[in-house]
Amino acid sequence: MKPESSRSVISAKGLTRVYKLGDSEVIGISQVDLEIAAGELVVLKGNSGSGKSTLLSLLAGLDRPTRGDLTVANHDLNDTSDADLTHFRRQVVGMIFQSFNLLPTLNVLENICLPALLAGKSVAESRPKAMALLEWLGLDARLNHLPAQLSGGEMQRTAIARALINDPAIILADEPTGNLDSRNGQIVIDLLAELNRKWDRTVFIATHSTLADDRASVKIGLKDGMLTSLP
Amino acid sequence: MKKFLFFSRLFIWFSLRDMRKHMGRAATVLFGIALGAAVFTSVRLSVNASLDSFTKSMDLIAGRADHVLTRPGGYVPEYLIARLLDHPMIRNASPVLTTYTRVSQDGSEPFLLIGFDPILDRPLRNWRINDKSGQSPVVWLDLLKEPFTLILGEPLARQLNRAPGDSLYLEHAHQKTRFKILGMLERSGLSLAEGGRIALTDIATFQEFTGLFGKVDRIDLQLKPLATARDRADIQRLLPESIQLNPPTAKRESGQMMIRAYQLNLSILSFASLFVGMFLVYSLVALNAASRRHELAILRATGASAYHVFFIFLAEGAFLGITGWLVAIPLGNFLIKYLLHGVSQTISTLFVRVQVDTLSLSVSEIAFGFAVTVGISILAAYQPAREAMQVAPKEALEISQLGMRPRKSPGQLAIWGLICILLVLPLSRLPAVLDMPLPGYLAILLLFVGFSLLAPWALQRISHSSSAVLLKRAGIPAYLASRYVRDSGTRTAVSVGALITAVALFTALVIMIYSFRQTVTYWTYETIKGDLFLTSKMGEINRFRYPIPQQVIDDLQDYRSEIDILPNRRFFLNYGKFPYEFELMDMQGFMQYASFFWLKGNPKAIRPMLKRGEGVIVSEVFSNRTGLTVGDVFKAQIEESYLELPIIGIVRDYRTQGGVVFYSMPHFNAQYHQTYWGGLRFFFKDRSQDLDLAVAKLRNDIIDRMGDKVDMYSGKGLRGAVLKIFDETFAVTTVLLLIALVIAALGIATTLTVLVLERSRQLNTLFAVGASFRQIRSMIFWEAGFMVVIGELAGVVCGFVLSCLLVFVINRQSFGWTFLYGVNWGALGASIPLIILTALAAALPAVKMVFRKPPATLLRER
Ligand SMILES: Nc1ncnc2c1ncn2[C@@H]1O[C@H](COP(=O)(O)OP(=O)(O)O)[C@@H](O)[C@H]1O
Ligand SMILES: [Mg+2]
Repeated sequence: MKPESSRSVISAKGLTRVYKLGDSEVIGISQVDLEIAAGELVVLKGNSGSGKSTLLSLLAGLDRPTRGDLTVANHDLNDTSDADLTHFRRQVVGMIFQSFNLLPTLNVLENICLPALLAGKSVAESRPKAMALLEWLGLDARLNHLPAQLSGGEMQRTAIARALINDPAIILADEPTGNLDSRNGQIVIDLLAELNRKWDRTVFIATHSTLADDRASVKIGLKDGMLTSLP
Repeated sequence: MKKFLFFSRLFIWFSLRDMRKHMGRAATVLFGIALGAAVFTSVRLSVNASLDSFTKSMDLIAGRADHVLTRPGGYVPEYLIARLLDHPMIRNASPVLTTYTRVSQDGSEPFLLIGFDPILDRPLRNWRINDKSGQSPVVWLDLLKEPFTLILGEPLARQLNRAPGDSLYLEHAHQKTRFKILGMLERSGLSLAEGGRIALTDIATFQEFTGLFGKVDRIDLQLKPLATARDRADIQRLLPESIQLNPPTAKRESGQMMIRAYQLNLSILSFASLFVGMFLVYSLVALNAASRRHELAILRATGASAYHVFFIFLAEGAFLGITGWLVAIPLGNFLIKYLLHGVSQTISTLFVRVQVDTLSLSVSEIAFGFAVTVGISILAAYQPAREAMQVAPKEALEISQLGMRPRKSPGQLAIWGLICILLVLPLSRLPAVLDMPLPGYLAILLLFVGFSLLAPWALQRISHSSSAVLLKRAGIPAYLASRYVRDSGTRTAVSVGALITAVALFTALVIMIYSFRQTVTYWTYETIKGDLFLTSKMGEINRFRYPIPQQVIDDLQDYRSEIDILPNRRFFLNYGKFPYEFELMDMQGFMQYASFFWLKGNPKAIRPMLKRGEGVIVSEVFSNRTGLTVGDVFKAQIEESYLELPIIGIVRDYRTQGGVVFYSMPHFNAQYHQTYWGGLRFFFKDRSQDLDLAVAKLRNDIIDRMGDKVDMYSGKGLRGAVLKIFDETFAVTTVLLLIALVIAALGIATTLTVLVLERSRQLNTLFAVGASFRQIRSMIFWEAGFMVVIGELAGVVCGFVLSCLLVFVINRQSFGWTFLYGVNWGALGASIPLIILTALAAALPAVKMVFRKPPATLLRER
């Protein structure tokens, strides 16, 4: 990966995503301007339907903006090829989802190693790193289990390990606690905060819960697809 | 390499483990494709075995000859040999005579007796005597010196249980003669022809045995290497005009051509099973792609490229193809035992005599089967793989699932389908390519594809327009079912497509076979009329080449008061490469009792012309193959005469060894040359008596008076035999057809099960809001009902179109004949509900599956 050279790792200007549904249009986000410096822990707040997932999908290179400029970790995401976007997802960002999104046919270790393998590494190369992550996350006893045999908290921790396997600069989490009880939710938020503090990763959490509020270094709000100032 | 390893791992992790989880589904599809592959390869191997054995026999018998002298329909005078051997450009010349004969004992099978001159033949053919004592030159000399001696092929000797030194009685048209066995042939060269069922004798003995003094069937020639076309013309000038000088391959090629046409037809028919199997692969891969959409999005979101996804699904297809092919090996092993016999039997009765002794496992044929199986499996996976590739990584997010409608609307597909169907007509009008009805087959493929593409649209329209009525009349389960089918899109349509294909094939073949059989039955009763048929002994296998003994003809005069005796003579000739029969008959007498099966020309006008010998009538096959029709002139060299006669009519005829030309015998004898009687048919003048009884009495009477000098068949028996051959021929077809139906039923069962599994959450929600078990079960049956009824209806419509293609295009182009179109309403009427019931029964496993898990747990699952 290219080293971080500029000070802001995420930079958006007039970022807009409009969904076409037949003849009508639905606004996902509209005119979002954003500058995030490397090493921040961003908490993005907003009600359901306010556009959080839409913004995250753009930052993660899962989707393309309708209008506006977006640069993430020195990658201009406005006009990149599909191949470049795939590369970006593999190497630059790590993504964590509300419903964990583990592949049901792969065991814990395999799920974690998958992005490394997709990036062309061998199992032997990626395994030590995966084992280290598992140990840190307290999952070392679970590595041969299938997702269906795990609890929600374990699944989300597996997903965190998967997001970290390729050493991404940015971790994006969309409602990471949404499917967890408050105890497990707190564990996940603590882990993300630790990532930010100890390992110096930029962490971007979209959530409507308050669990992460006191950990945030930056707080932004979304309402009907537009940025709002928070109380 | 590393990339490949990684991809294999990804495939195992993502696809194979999932297939293992749904073992039943994958196994069903594998079985289907394996069955298709097994049928395809074993059919081709069986026909190849016949083709090989035929070609080998022809080549071994032809030896190193590069030219062969024959007289169409007759014999070559033996004295020509001396003249030929004097010619400076002729290196070798060897006269040959062949006939089928048999050992005089009950139930013995005919074998080929070859008469030749061992000295003249030496340079042309390989034959060696199996002996260790070094006596073989002496044995050959003995064959020349000692009359009525034989050398046997080893397999024949073994079957007859005879050794050198033994003797045996052989039967022929006019004789029963004792032969002494001098030796046995080594298992090489000529002795491999006809599966080793051959015997060699000296030409003089042969002529005495068969009564063909001074005549030979043919003279095989080997010209000097530098011989030019001028030399050939020079040689031709040495010969009487009626003698033809040809390369020896002509007969082989026409035989091969017929077997190949048959192979193509069977291949296509067996390919239908593979084609239906292709639907199975498609439905499984499409199901995986659709039901694992979310997983695909995750895969993409974690960094897999669209091509990773694409190749995973192509690999699923390839995997199913390869594994299916492997499973096909034991299946094929079993099938081929049945097919090998059936196919060689059919080819022997239909086209040319073949003796299949070995099954040669050609690597190229097996590779071809592999390539076709894997190829169509990958092809079937292509479209689902393309769709899987389109899954956006964003779908991994919890974004509202609104904007994810299927890409191609049913309407669009239907337009493509319509275009395919519209192309069928112009394609079916195109002529055959390289003697094979390729445009016709393409038309069939387009027909299937067209109807399958129409299926989603038809499903949507019909379930849409019926849902309101159903709600009122059949209650809520039917209504829900119709709504579900309407919205399920291409998923249900795929298995409906498979059903359409199978039902269409079934309908079309039922119609075709019925039309064919009806037509042939009518033909046998019209044309193969006669109360009793008589030929010289073994007349049929020797193609009526030996005259009925004069003694027999004289004796028969005593019956003149009671019966009419109609003589005929059949010549087996070639028109270019196309084989046909020229049949002389007593038109006057024939038309008094029987008639032809007229196709073209006005019978009222033709009949008197035929009786006056003013022209010939030809069969439909002859006309289609040669392009000659009413008004054209038929030209042929027959024995020593050259004929030019106008064609005055075309008749249907279903004898299988090519076409026929009919002409009046008395007029031929008067205008050209005298021919002998090759066969007779008897009609009793008193038609009111019990004919069966009269025939049996006459037959016994003739045997009492003439011994077993002749072969006789009752007209009834002969007609029965024709229909029996017909039914045997289609036995192979029927097996192939049933397999296609089984595969389609597998398809329905899989689809329904899958539809249920996919919706378990939805079904349990229904349950939770108050639907009863009965209602839900009935809903699933209604869904099955929709699919099956629509598949069946469309299949029947498609089948009718297909049957027209088969009867009027494919049969015409590959065999030269068409039939009177007739629909077997009885069989169709009985089979349609049967198929519906079977398909509905295929819904049972799905219904069972509905409540395999307690509803409450399902509601909590994702
Ligand atoms: N694929 C889509 N098609 C149409 N509308 C969409 C799509 N995805 C999201 N939306 C709409 O965009 C808006 C923002 O949605 P989303 O980003 O999912 O909000 P959040 O994650 O904050 O709940 C909503 O009104 C939603 O309905
Ligand atoms: Mg959201």
